[in-house]
Amino acid sequence: MTSQGPLRDPANRVSPKAVRLWLLQSLMAFVLMLGGSLLVARLVSGWGWLPDWLSEHSWLLPVAVVVLGLPFLAAEPFVRYAVHRWELSGDVVYARSGFLTREWVFVPVSRIQTVDKGQGWFERMLGLATLEIRTASHAGSSTIQGLEHGVAAGLAEQLARRAEVLRDDAT
Amino acid sequence: MLLIDPVRMLPSLLLPLVGVLFVGGFSPRSYIWAALGVVGTVVFAVIRWATFTYELVGDRLETKRALISRSVRTIPLERIRGVDVSTPPMHRLLGLAVLKIDTGASGGNEEAGLDGVTLTEAERLKTVLLRRTAPAAVHPTHPAHPARAAHAEREIVRVPKRWLLYGPLSGAYLLTPFAFAGGAIGLAFQWGDELGVGRDVAWHAGEWLWERPYLLLAVAVLLVLAMPVLGGVMYAVFNWDFVLKRRDGYLVAERGLVNRRSVSLESQRVRGYEIVDGLAERWAGVVRAWAIVTGLGDSRTRGQLLPDVPRPVAYAVTGEAVGPYDAALRPHPPVARNRRLFRAIFPWALLALLSAVAAVATGVTLGWILAVVALLLAGAGIPLGLDRYASLGHGYDGARLSVRSGSLRRAQAVIERRAVVGWRLRQTWFQRRAGVLTLIAGVGAGTGGYEAIDVSEAQGVAFPTEVTPEWLTPFLSGPEDS
Repeated sequence: MTSQGPLRDPANRVSPKAVRLWLLQSLMAFVLMLGGSLLVARLVSGWGWLPDWLSEHSWLLPVAVVVLGLPFLAAEPFVRYAVHRWELSGDVVYARSGFLTREWVFVPVSRIQTVDKGQGWFERMLGLATLEIRTASHAGSSTIQGLEHGVAAGLAEQLARRAEVLRDDAT
Repeated sequence: MLLIDPVRMLPSLLLPLVGVLFVGGFSPRSYIWAALGVVGTVVFAVIRWATFTYELVGDRLETKRALISRSVRTIPLERIRGVDVSTPPMHRLLGLAVLKIDTGASGGNEEAGLDGVTLTEAERLKTVLLRRTAPAAVHPTHPAHPARAAHAEREIVRVPKRWLLYGPLSGAYLLTPFAFAGGAIGLAFQWGDELGVGRDVAWHAGEWLWERPYLLLAVAVLLVLAMPVLGGVMYAVFNWDFVLKRRDGYLVAERGLVNRRSVSLESQRVRGYEIVDGLAERWAGVVRAWAIVTGLGDSRTRGQLLPDVPRPVAYAVTGEAVGPYDAALRPHPPVARNRRLFRAIFPWALLALLSAVAAVATGVTLGWILAVVALLLAGAGIPLGLDRYASLGHGYDGARLSVRSGSLRRAQAVIERRAVVGWRLRQTWFQRRAGVLTLIAGVGAGTGGYEAIDVSEAQGVAFPTEVTPEWLTPFLSGPEDS
């Protein structure tokens, strides 16, 4: 379900710098996976009790990681940038996210309990922030990644102020 | 109050005491030591009792404990969400009760309890505590009179004893025989040690049994046969004389033969209910029901609204206690059936294939056995998948929405519209290919989210739009292409 479906796209993209953030994360994951597979291949080739064809071809494992993993990890940041969008209108936060699994979340401001703005290590380097909008239910809570720090701060402020006005204690 | 602690501790004291007597060879000195142990326990209980106090101060309840470390716990009455009175057998003998106060805080330690108050005091406290918090009864200047409150109660349902026969169908407590057997073996070992019978004897007994497999088999068959019987007995003991009643602003459920338990749920916090039936229960036409309550810890045991009762009764009772749901459930698209079938069959079929290949390659018979079993399970996946699809459904009657799923344990949740705090649509890569998605209604109660699995993309947007149009309409595509 994309823009052709019954739902329109949320109005705002996340910051373009988010691509760099996700690329960095992909790179980290790739290095870890490659290192892990090299280690396993090294160990396997040393084990005598395994069938010969397995220990002799242990170099296939890191190759498989590169061939299968790399395209995914390389594509992920760009797909995410196309998918991740958010919007606040009519006192409802509408956010879309995901890579292989997509998620659309609708959180009415009147039900918001807390708004958290967080910055990881990479995010700090790039001047980005993650906004966590929490309600009484995990399924009704939303996380918007890769926002420009200023945008996130402004949105958090706006949501907090508006939530106070609209507070509806039905939960 | 004084008696209950030493009496309760006696069983656990018994073994060491007997041990002391044995080791001492029943000499006068060993009797003195045993007596000292008993006296010590009683003294400890007395001191503990004397140093624990509770007091209603204005609009809060204070409990003080000053045995070794001092601690004062203050509970504002407005925070109390429910009061749970239970009377274990020993307490009942002495006319006492245990009062548990649910404050909605998470973590077991956050809960306040008063162990060993008299029954009348427990009832008085319960009415006072609940009265203060029930919004219908708020008189800021005059505190409510407890005597009056006790009369304003109405019974919704009293479950007849013969319906306890449905118990074994629920599958609850089915493992009781094994628990008993395990407990007995454990106890035998422990006593054996205490009484000076070495572990060797036990090992010999085990070996003796092992050499007679028919005996072991007979024991196993007996245990299996005992499953529904003992399970049913346990069920009956726990759900004996189940009564659900309404007492100003609270739903009160009472049950239990040995330990009579009474749980109060604030009506205002009840957001809906869940109606659950397993395969056997569906065949007999009976269901169980739980309340969906905000901020209720341990909701699986506490939130129970009904044990196994015939389906129409359950609908009538939940309708009266919480609110009716009367609308048909809409089926999910046929592609959802393919997905259910695939998921019920494919893993077993794959396992069957793999073990068959392994059996051919290695020539081990175990592979063939595994393959046949997996194949049988894959075959069972066909009716299972079809039934899972038949269970899927969602609906809305203008006040409450409902979602249903599951087969071996089918659950239908009915939730008030105002309890929904948000919506989440989730679509995996496979779901995207099939054109379906999972719709999750975020609810600040119960499990937090209730899922409608594999609805079509159109349904997945239309349903939340129908329930909460003001939230979704700003984000719909223009009318020309929707």
